Parts: sequence; structure tokens; C-alpha cells
Amino acid sequence: MNAERSIQSPKLYKTAAQSKQSFLKTAWKAIIRKKSRFAGFIIILFFTLMAIIGPNLYPKELPIDSNAIYAPISWKYLLGTDFEGTSNLALIITGARYVLLAAALGALFTVIFGTVLGLIAGYFVGWSDSIIMRVTDLFLTVPSFPLLVVLSTVWNFGQPLAMGFVLGITGWGGMARAVRSQTLSLRERGFVEAAKGLGLSPFYILFREILPNVSSYIGMNLLTSITGCIYAEVGLFFLGVVPFHVNNWGVMLNMAVFSAGAMSSPTALPYLLSPLLALLILTLGIVLFLDAIDEIFNPRLREDV
Amino acid sequence: MKDFSIRLIWRIFSGIIMVLVVASLTFFLVRMMPGNPVDAQYNQLIMQGMTPVQAQNQVRVMYGFIPHSSLASQYMTYIANLLRLNLGQSVSYEGVSVSHIILNAAPWTLILVFTGLVASFLIGVLAGVIAAIKRSSPMGTTLTISGSLLHGVPQFVMGLLLAYVFTTLWPILPFGAPYDSSIAAGFNLPFVSSLISHAVLPVATYALSSYGGWLLTMKSSVITVLGDDFILASEIRGLKAATRVRYIAHNAILPLFTLFTLSIGFMFGGSVFIENIFDYPGLGNLLLKSIDARDYPLMSGAFLLITIAVIISNIVTDFLYSMVDPRIRR
Repeated sequence: MNAERSIQSPKLYKTAAQSKQSFLKTAWKAIIRKKSRFAGFIIILFFTLMAIIGPNLYPKELPIDSNAIYAPISWKYLLGTDFEGTSNLALIITGARYVLLAAALGALFTVIFGTVLGLIAGYFVGWSDSIIMRVTDLFLTVPSFPLLVVLSTVWNFGQPLAMGFVLGITGWGGMARAVRSQTLSLRERGFVEAAKGLGLSPFYILFREILPNVSSYIGMNLLTSITGCIYAEVGLFFLGVVPFHVNNWGVMLNMAVFSAGAMSSPTALPYLLSPLLALLILTLGIVLFLDAIDEIFNPRLREDV
Repeated sequence: MKDFSIRLIWRIFSGIIMVLVVASLTFFLVRMMPGNPVDAQYNQLIMQGMTPVQAQNQVRVMYGFIPHSSLASQYMTYIANLLRLNLGQSVSYEGVSVSHIILNAAPWTLILVFTGLVASFLIGVLAGVIAAIKRSSPMGTTLTISGSLLHGVPQFVMGLLLAYVFTTLWPILPFGAPYDSSIAAGFNLPFVSSLISHAVLPVATYALSSYGGWLLTMKSSVITVLGDDFILASEIRGLKAATRVRYIAHNAILPLFTLFTLSIGFMFGGSVFIENIFDYPGLGNLLLKSIDARDYPLMSGAFLLITIAVIISNIVTDFLYSMVDPRIRR
């Protein structure tokens, strides 16, 4: 065993670290190449900061003011107020944490489930592959948003972790398929054969040798599934199938449309428009940023030629 | 041909297994719910003055199994009923069978989404070809950006914006019903035109939010094909640009064709938001209303139909694709 350890030369590690550094460098270059990408990066950074520090800027129970119900946009209320006179801006800022945390966790779970199952299925082949692929088929077939709606009858979505977990459970199928097919092609390569010949454990080979080779795909998927998770999660709150005991942009949308009649009464309009605006700006940021991600991972799209 | 039918039978068989798995899932979900809706229904009927036997029979008709019997026998009766296409009775629409309600809702979803799907597919694919071929020109960039942005905007945001703009800000279209209830239903001009004008916004919402996806997929598909040898060969042979574009489009559209047939299956469940915003009486709205009304037999029925649609379209896609793409045909 000791002899085998020494075969992994320290030089190999160094090049790995170096390649990581140069990856970050090319990524940064791709981001600043276009103004639009940089703008997207800033927007995402801004929303992330909002989610992290936002709720600390306000008291736990947001102040209500019966004299300022549906107050128009003013210096005091930059985005107007809601049906109890609470500032919409405060609702947006404090609501960002649940929205973004649940989406990030959802994407993380999607990627973890998909990667681990895809790696195992693709590397071991045989019976574990057939079982995992049948289960994957099931999750790919059952339409995920209606499934989420049905699950909302038994699941408590009060915590971002619970929401993220269910988003991950319903969404990992496509990821597992893709990782499996990449693993299938990688397991025939020389370096995997060499690692096998050295008698390294299968899990070492899977997570230390094969995983790094699919990491770029995983990184890209992490970002795209965050958007999917935001929409699914905010959408569930908007539809009103989830109990409203948390502050969330979807709750605001639901109340504005179905209780406050914001579609027809101009007074409640700021209440409807503020979460819409937040979602649109965040969407714009992610779309602009994904353009850079596209270029980092898909050299064929580069148009320098 | 023999291979073909064996594969078809195998796919149908595994499709049926999948339907049974989903049905079992909803069965156990309803049994696991806090406050056990089946027992609650039973107790409520007793409170209304029914005898235990009457209440038991009533619950059996609604959910498809006898309460208070063993879980295994409840499950067996439920599945047996299902195989006879008996989905039980709705709780909120008293005395109406679930299959009747969901079959009435399905056409609304079908027409709404199918129109939107075809419109967005045609426009999106065309724009995708242009965006790929002219990708260095301002026109190509503009198209790509329009695709990414529209693809990024969530369906419910799109629906709310369209509804606000065209019903409140600039009220030219109706909102909040499938047709004008003051006009007598029937095949006459005022009713049909009312149906159409009420469908414009929901269809437009669907079309706009799926247009971007088609554009982006077609664009990347065309770019992949552009690198193929036969395109270079056709260029060297001096073929006309129009012919080359036809070659490219023909080869690039194959993967999209699969996606298109798959979307037909997903469309039964894909319009939950649109139906909710525009109060369209389709399957998605039915699913939501059944949850609101705690009408669990209706909920499982609607969810099951949505799933079956996806399974069928998966099978159809598989076989159509092997007919369309000569590389897969053996």
C-alpha cells in the first residue's frame, strides 16, 4: 500500500493546483471580456449579498403601519407598501434569503444525487447500473412540477433545506444520465486502466480520477439548475399550494394577484411589480452570466475565428 | 419488423409498469397524509348521519378501496379498480366520477398548449437557423439575446406581465375565463370568437416562454452541423447558399424533432401556471383546485393522466425517431 502511495508523485498534485488556478484565470477573463457578462456577474453578486446580509438589516417581524397601506412609491417606501403597510423593499430584501438559499440547496442536491448515481452506474455497469437507470427513467418520466405540487400536500416547505431537498429529489434524473454516459466513455481510457492496474480502490478511482474530468459539466449544471430551482420554488408559493409561513417573493406575487387584485387596482400595483422586478433582474443577471459560462466550457462557441 | 414489434411490446409493458408505480406512489401518499383524508372523510359521513356501512361504501366509491381494511387489501382493490379505468369519485364535485372530470379538462390543456407549442416551434426553429448562420452579425446577436432572455423569464412572470399589459394597461383582450359566459355556448360565431380572444393571452404566454428554448437548441444544433464534413463538401462543390441552408437545417432539426414530440407529452402538466393565471379549466388548474379542495381522488386522477401522457409520448417519440433518423434505423 505504501509503495502505491509513493507512485502519486507530488508533481501531479502541483499541476492539478496550477490548472485550477489557470481555470479561474480563463473564467475571469471570459467574464470581463464583455460588459454584459460582467454586469450579470455583478447582479448575481448583489443578490447573493442581499440573501446573506439582507435579513440582518431588518427586525425579525417587519414593522406594519396601518396608516401606510398600499402607500405609493416615495423616499420612505422606495417600492411602496403592501396590504399591512410593510415596505415592499424590506419584503424583497428579507425574502431573498429563502429564495436563493433554497435554490442553491436544490441545485446542490440535484448535482450531488445526479453525479454520485451517474458515476456509480457508469463505472460499475452490471446490476447497479440497471437498477439506477430504471429509477432514473422513473424520475425523468414523471413530470416534475406537477409532482412537486402533489408532494406539497404532504411535505412541509417551511425551511429552505426541506424545499431544496425536494427540488433535488425531483430533478436529478437528467444529470445522472449525462454523468453516466461520460463515465462510460472515461472508464475505457488509459489513466483509469492504469489506476485499476495499481490496485487503487474503485471509490478512489471514481472520485479522484473520473470526477475531476466531469467537473466542468457539473459546474455548469449547478448554475443552470439554480435558475430552474428558483422558478419552481417561487412558483409553488405563487400558486398558493404551500402554506405561507415564510417571507418569499412567490407569496408576495400570490397575495398581490389573488387577494389584493393588483391586476386591476393601481394602488396595489407596486406590491405586484416589486417581486416581478426582483425576479426579472435576477433572471437577467443569470442569463448574462451564463453566456460567459458557455464560453468557458464550450470552446466551439468562441467566435474569434 | 419482428424486432420492431418486440421492442414496441417491451416499451408498452414497461410503460404500464411505470403507470402502476406512479399510481402506487399517489396511493401511499394519500394514506400517509397528516390527518388521513380517507378516515377524515369516513368520520365526516358518520357525522352527517350515515350508518357505518353506508359511510364505508361511500368512501369506497370515492377512493376506490374500503377504509379500515388491511393496507394490502386496500392497495389491491385500488389497483384492480385502476385497471378497470375506475378512478373513483370526486369529493368536491359530489357524485361525479373522476375520469369524467379529467377527460373534460384535458381538451382545454391540449388545445392551449398545442397551439402555443406549434407556434413557438416554427418561429423558434426559423430564428435559430438565422441566429446560427448570422451569428457574428448584429441580427444574429439580437436574436440570440431575445432567445436567452425569453427562455430565462419564468412562465408565471411572463403570464402576469402579459395579463397586466393587455388587460389593464391597454385593455384589448379579456382575462380570467375561458370564454364569455354571457354568450350561449355552441358552434356559432360570437361564441367561437369569444373562445379565441380568451385563448390569445394564454397561448401567447406559452409560445413566448418556449420560443427561446427552441431558438437556442436549434442554434447550437446548427452550429454543430456546420462543423461537419458534408457541409464543407457542399461548399467546395459550389452548391447554392439556399441548398446548403436546406442541408444544414435538415440535419440540425433531427434532435429537435425528438424534443418536440416529448414536449407534447409534457404539455399536459406544463401549463399549470398559465391555467392558474388565466383561470383556464385545464388539467393543471384541476390539479391545483383538487388540492385546494382536499379532493384527493381527483388529485391522484389528474396527476396520473399527466404522467400517462408523458409515458405515451416517450414511447411514440422513440419510434418516430427511429423512423425519421436513418442513422438509427436498422
